[in-house]
Amino acid sequence: MSEVEKVFISGLHEKLIEDKVIDESQLDPDFRKEIIKFGGKDVMTCLQCGNCTGVCPISLKIEYKTRTTIKYCQFGMKNATLSTRWVCATCYRCYEHCPADLNPAEVMIALRHIGIREGIIPPFVKRAASNLMGHGLTVRPDESILKEREKIGLPELPQSKPDWESVKEEVVTIIKTTKYDRLLGIRGDEDVSE
Amino acid sequence: MAMPNAELKDNGGGTEPKIGVFVCHCGTNIGGVVDCEKVAKAASTIEGVAVSKDLKYACSDLGQDEIQKAIKEEGLNRIVVASCSPRLHEFTFRNCVEEAGLNPYFMIMVNLREQCSWVHMKEPEDATAKASDLIRMGVERSKLLSSLSPREVAVEPTCLVIGAGIAGIQAALDVAQKGFKTYLVEKEPSIGGHMAQLDKTFPTGDCAICILAPKMVEASRQKNLEILAYSEVVDIDGYVGNFNVKVRMKPRYVDEEKCVGCGVCTEKCPVKVPNEFDVGFGMRKAIYVPFPQAVPLKYTIDAENCRQLQGKKCGACAKACINDAIDYEQQPRDLDLKVGTIIIATGFDTYIPMKKGVYSYWESENVITAMELERLINAAGPTGGHLIRPSDKTEPKRIAFIQCVGSRNHKLGIQHCSRVCCMYAMKNAQIIKEHDPETDIAIYYNDIRAFGKGFEELYHRIRMDYGVEFIRGRPARLTTDPETGNITIRAEETLLAKITERDFDLVVLSVGLLPSQGTMPIQKMLSLPTSPDGFLQELHPKLRPIETAIDGVFICGCAQGPKDIPDSVAQAKATASEASTLMIRSKHVVEPLTASINDELCVGCGLCTDVCPYGAIELQDKDGQIKAVVTEALCHGCGTCAAACPQRAIDQLQFSNRQIMSEISAALSHEKAAGGE
Repeated sequence: MSEVEKVFISGLHEKLIEDKVIDESQLDPDFRKEIIKFGGKDVMTCLQCGNCTGVCPISLKIEYKTRTTIKYCQFGMKNATLSTRWVCATCYRCYEHCPADLNPAEVMIALRHIGIREGIIPPFVKRAASNLMGHGLTVRPDESILKEREKIGLPELPQSKPDWESVKEEVVTIIKTTKYDRLLGIRGDEDVSE
Repeated sequence: MAMPNAELKDNGGGTEPKIGVFVCHCGTNIGGVVDCEKVAKAASTIEGVAVSKDLKYACSDLGQDEIQKAIKEEGLNRIVVASCSPRLHEFTFRNCVEEAGLNPYFMIMVNLREQCSWVHMKEPEDATAKASDLIRMGVERSKLLSSLSPREVAVEPTCLVIGAGIAGIQAALDVAQKGFKTYLVEKEPSIGGHMAQLDKTFPTGDCAICILAPKMVEASRQKNLEILAYSEVVDIDGYVGNFNVKVRMKPRYVDEEKCVGCGVCTEKCPVKVPNEFDVGFGMRKAIYVPFPQAVPLKYTIDAENCRQLQGKKCGACAKACINDAIDYEQQPRDLDLKVGTIIIATGFDTYIPMKKGVYSYWESENVITAMELERLINAAGPTGGHLIRPSDKTEPKRIAFIQCVGSRNHKLGIQHCSRVCCMYAMKNAQIIKEHDPETDIAIYYNDIRAFGKGFEELYHRIRMDYGVEFIRGRPARLTTDPETGNITIRAEETLLAKITERDFDLVVLSVGLLPSQGTMPIQKMLSLPTSPDGFLQELHPKLRPIETAIDGVFICGCAQGPKDIPDSVAQAKATASEASTLMIRSKHVVEPLTASINDELCVGCGLCTDVCPYGAIELQDKDGQIKAVVTEALCHGCGTCAAACPQRAIDQLQFSNRQIMSEISAALSHEKAAGGE
């Protein structure tokens, strides 16, 4: 497993499609409706030309294909999209190149919404959310990062401003009001070390 | 068009209206939703209604007999038929009441199907109430009808065909063979169009010029047919049967009467420039014919490149010409033509790939378009049919075709499928394989559209006999090796779900078809509507595929939409038949439902001239005052002008402001709606 796959997919090994025949029992006819509801409006328009896969920086590196993910969505094969939905970098290159002017990245984002609501959350997402709630930052530089910076001669990180705490409080208010914490099941004080 | 006689009775006008209402069930189309019996009963209580009946099928012979019987027996003078859209059966019922001795314009239709039962299928009660409302409105309007008579205009027995590609040539030949004087206008020095540039034609592999040239020659020999090559239509006005056309003949600087096409001039000409006919690959002289089979075979001097015409000393061609045909002083000439019908066959342009696009057409020499390939494999082309790649003139051994370039692309705003690219790519692949079976050919496609006669067979043949590879995927990136000039295509082979990178010596872009540059000016001159893809719009996509919104103007070939040669020829023949029908009759009946202008109210603001989609209204000086004037033969009675007129000076006959207002009051009078209930 490549480094990228470790970070993004670890803990989310999807149920492999081992059956020789995919029958109705494995398909969710309402999946597409759900995707459209969460913003993936173009999911059914895709004609599967594969241009998105060809320009996708992620597809070049790991066993993930933008087009295939869209096809699984059209088909209603929910399980086949469990892990791959998290690897999209939302760089929007697929959107830029799509000859039908569709936005596959929006479908990927919709898939994440659906996954989170079903409690299928990869550890790195939880970690980022917890950091945001507890420290106001999604990525928190830990000791090792600071040491690395010093070693390669980068300046020290700027110190938090005096009003930092109030900013953090605002972030927490937003998180609590939108029930983001409950959605992800975070408190903000989890042990976030690797 | 089944139009009634010009001599119509003006009965019923001015007398007390005696109205007959006929509510059609249309089987279950209306009857299944609307309670027709109840509606007919309600209508019978409206003031002025003498007869109110419901009929199973009003348009059937039985239904029509019933209407005619009621007119005769009850002395009805207004008929309201509540059935389907007037687009379908207005003529049927007009003829029906006319046969019963009534002016056909005393019959109006109320649409209970498209505008009521079909759209309110799930609300039968409301639909029934709405049907009653609609009929009440129709009855009130019918009270204000007046008798009208259709007018006739004479049709000049002359036809103008614009554009001399295969479609234009065929149309002109057919019209001329029927005995009508025909002008065939072409902006290029020779007729022939794009078909003359092609090598072979799909799916049968006929040599394009071999089957086209005889038609070109026939056109030049046909005595009723006058070819106006190297000419452009600069102005059209008038209306069906009476179009005034101005054609500008560009100067060839060669006297067409004297030139015999011997070609001595071109041998002596010192200037060499790229030949447009060869899409820039071959060279021609400044005095030239675009290709050997050109018709008319008259030489043309390209003024931009001719030394003499650019003020330098030369005159080589004039010295060489034994017939003294060179005339450096020639000027453009304008011809005024009066024609009865116009056939537009202005064809297509191929898509030009984007600068800095993914397919690197402008950066890489070895990425060419399909039209360029046609010239490179054409025996009469710059290489004599020997396929070489542009960068190093070597024979390409690995060739890729990329489909849907400039077609089916929403990013470019080109949504349509160009219909010919799949087949011409396969045809070209076959030709290349025939020349050199060792060549590897891959076609990158999204969908293969092999729908025509013999198309699927070609698709099968090039896989079975020639082993052409099909890769389903749209290329994402093309990289050119600066040293070898080879091109690496990265694409997902979607059927494998794998990203592939393959190397090719030559890449051919299967470019799509767009409306030609030459179409636009003609479209503007005639105010012809276009469809969203930019091609000219036919009057009805299924049943009137070659007629346009302007009577007497017909469209054929790729001007109407991308199509292959057989379809273009078929359409061309259809336009010729349609135009001839009009000219054989020598008279055209014009529907009297036009806009009419009240000169006393008109202030000459010109708003109506701007909104008229048919160019039927213009401002004229009437005794020192500017007034709008309707050309009735052009007016289609759409009513746009009447709605736009701020002075309410325009009335749309049979839909006058008074009639519309009467409908509105009827619609709003709900106490009356309760009627007999």
